[in-house]
Amino acid sequence: MDAGCSPHDLAGFVPSAVECHGQVVENRCVAKDTWIMRLFCPELAREITPGQFFMVRDPRVTDPMLGRPFALLDVWKDANGNVAGVDFGYVVVGKMTSLMATWPVGDDCVLWGPLGNGFPVSDVDRLCLVAGGIGVTPFLAVTNEVLGAQKYGNSNRIGSSRAKSVSLCYGARSEDYLMCVDRFRAIGVKIHISTDDGSCGQKGFVTDTLRELISSDDCPQSIYCCGPEPMMQAVSELAAESHIPCWLSLETPMACGFGICFSCVTRVRMDDGSTDYRRTCVEGPVFRAEKLCFS
Amino acid sequence: MADLTVELNRLKLRNPILVASGTFGYAKEATAFVDFSQLGGIIPKTVTLLPREGNPPPRTVETSCGLLNSIGLDNDGIDTFIEKHVDYLTSLDCPIIANVAGHNAEEFVVLAEKLNAFPQLAGVELNMSCPNVSGGVDFATNPDMTHAVISAVRKKCKLPIIAKLTPNVTNIVEIAAAAAEGGADAVTLINTLMGVAIDWRRRKPILGNVFGGLSGPAIKPVALRIVCQVAKAVDVPIIGVGGIQNLNDVMEFLVAGASAVQIGTASFYSPGLASRLPAELSDLLDSEGAASVSDIVCTLQYPEATPVACAAE
Repeated sequence: MDAGCSPHDLAGFVPSAVECHGQVVENRCVAKDTWIMRLFCPELAREITPGQFFMVRDPRVTDPMLGRPFALLDVWKDANGNVAGVDFGYVVVGKMTSLMATWPVGDDCVLWGPLGNGFPVSDVDRLCLVAGGIGVTPFLAVTNEVLGAQKYGNSNRIGSSRAKSVSLCYGARSEDYLMCVDRFRAIGVKIHISTDDGSCGQKGFVTDTLRELISSDDCPQSIYCCGPEPMMQAVSELAAESHIPCWLSLETPMACGFGICFSCVTRVRMDDGSTDYRRTCVEGPVFRAEKLCFS
Repeated sequence: MADLTVELNRLKLRNPILVASGTFGYAKEATAFVDFSQLGGIIPKTVTLLPREGNPPPRTVETSCGLLNSIGLDNDGIDTFIEKHVDYLTSLDCPIIANVAGHNAEEFVVLAEKLNAFPQLAGVELNMSCPNVSGGVDFATNPDMTHAVISAVRKKCKLPIIAKLTPNVTNIVEIAAAAAEGGADAVTLINTLMGVAIDWRRRKPILGNVFGGLSGPAIKPVALRIVCQVAKAVDVPIIGVGGIQNLNDVMEFLVAGASAVQIGTASFYSPGLASRLPAELSDLLDSEGAASVSDIVCTLQYPEATPVACAAE
């Protein structure tokens, strides 16, 4: 059931979104099965904020047909210092991402966005970001903003640059899959890596490193999390036990990305205690952890 | 400039490009991408008498050149629709055709009577063919039930009536004839085709509701075939829908016999498409030397021996 009564009731409704062409400026493999694409798309890039996403499509084919959602990794600037486009990360897993990995520099695609609500502007001193696999991508922009390294969005955006400490608990299958670690380190993030096989950092799960962080002097005041659902469920339980506010960014299968198809629903707790399906794209993708009902 | 206006009995539209129910939300979500003032009409998501939660996810899966969906008529019910959406929708510079689905003829009548209080609506489309709701699909698989629902609605509702029919039947012609006989101003052809997607490694269906309705370019030939069959056999205006994603597709439906068309799944992957098509259509008609879009409708030239599949029963 749809709570949205006017556009303004939908947390992730973006009136300034655009449908535009994007030109491939860079497209390179940065880790195992993991690529970063840089697109020239100034109009979209000037509006997008951390935690928002956009849909990318190849207009020349109908198989694959639908756009695919990708989170903003970062915006990039041209030689004059003007915001010129977006960088985003993707894992080659299916038909569309396999095709994307073949797109040469100069190729054109279609994209629409920015979409979704993004992460809330952080107002705490100690922020912890918890990432699983490719779920790390939204956090580079979050970090850049809270540490004052980069501004995002249009002039109406009041970003925060007050965090004194940003920690990243980053889990991956193995060392081969880790991406952007140097970039996080360069802007001053404290990184706690865990891998399933122990090939880098601690052997185990992000919840292990997060638990240690919570019991340390650097205990976070907010947690932002993005990754596989079982991981997010474990992180939200740990946050609840520790009474730390926690936000989760969901990735549910989407067809349109802007609220017209009602595909991407997730079960949400309502104020009256009942539960209902909500569209991740226009009511999220970022939700307060306690609002979500995990299956 | 070619005349784009179309008349479907009592339903008069400024141009033949509409957006299909279930593929355009409640319109507001598309604000950033679509110039509503260009569209011939908007058909918002199906409304039922009582709220429906919809089907469990995953609700959609992409298949070759198509999309399989089992949304399950997720909606807040007619009273909330009237309270929260009708004023906004009818404030847009675009004709609005509400779409409703009932479990039985009585429910369809109650829904239509409630909408009858809003003369600012351009019409009502009866969803007699959603494949994702048990009971719903039955209406438009049976000519007598189709006739009964439409004639009952016609008695209680002054708005122009469109019957949206299912392709999942043996003989669409007799269903369309029953709809026309019952008083439908037009028929929408076609709703989605029933399908299933399977993950064989897990031995599981991919959709939460197992079966779903197939849409997108994959079904365009089927939709065109059905438009041809009904146009040949039944005297009722047709709104064609199924896999349209560019101007050539629009023209194919018009030539086949549709007086107007709906853009459905393509809005998911080309958000602004529908609002660009009317101007493109106008330019093409000019270059074709057509004075009016109606000059194009139903101009398909069949071989001398009429195809057997087009014969009415």
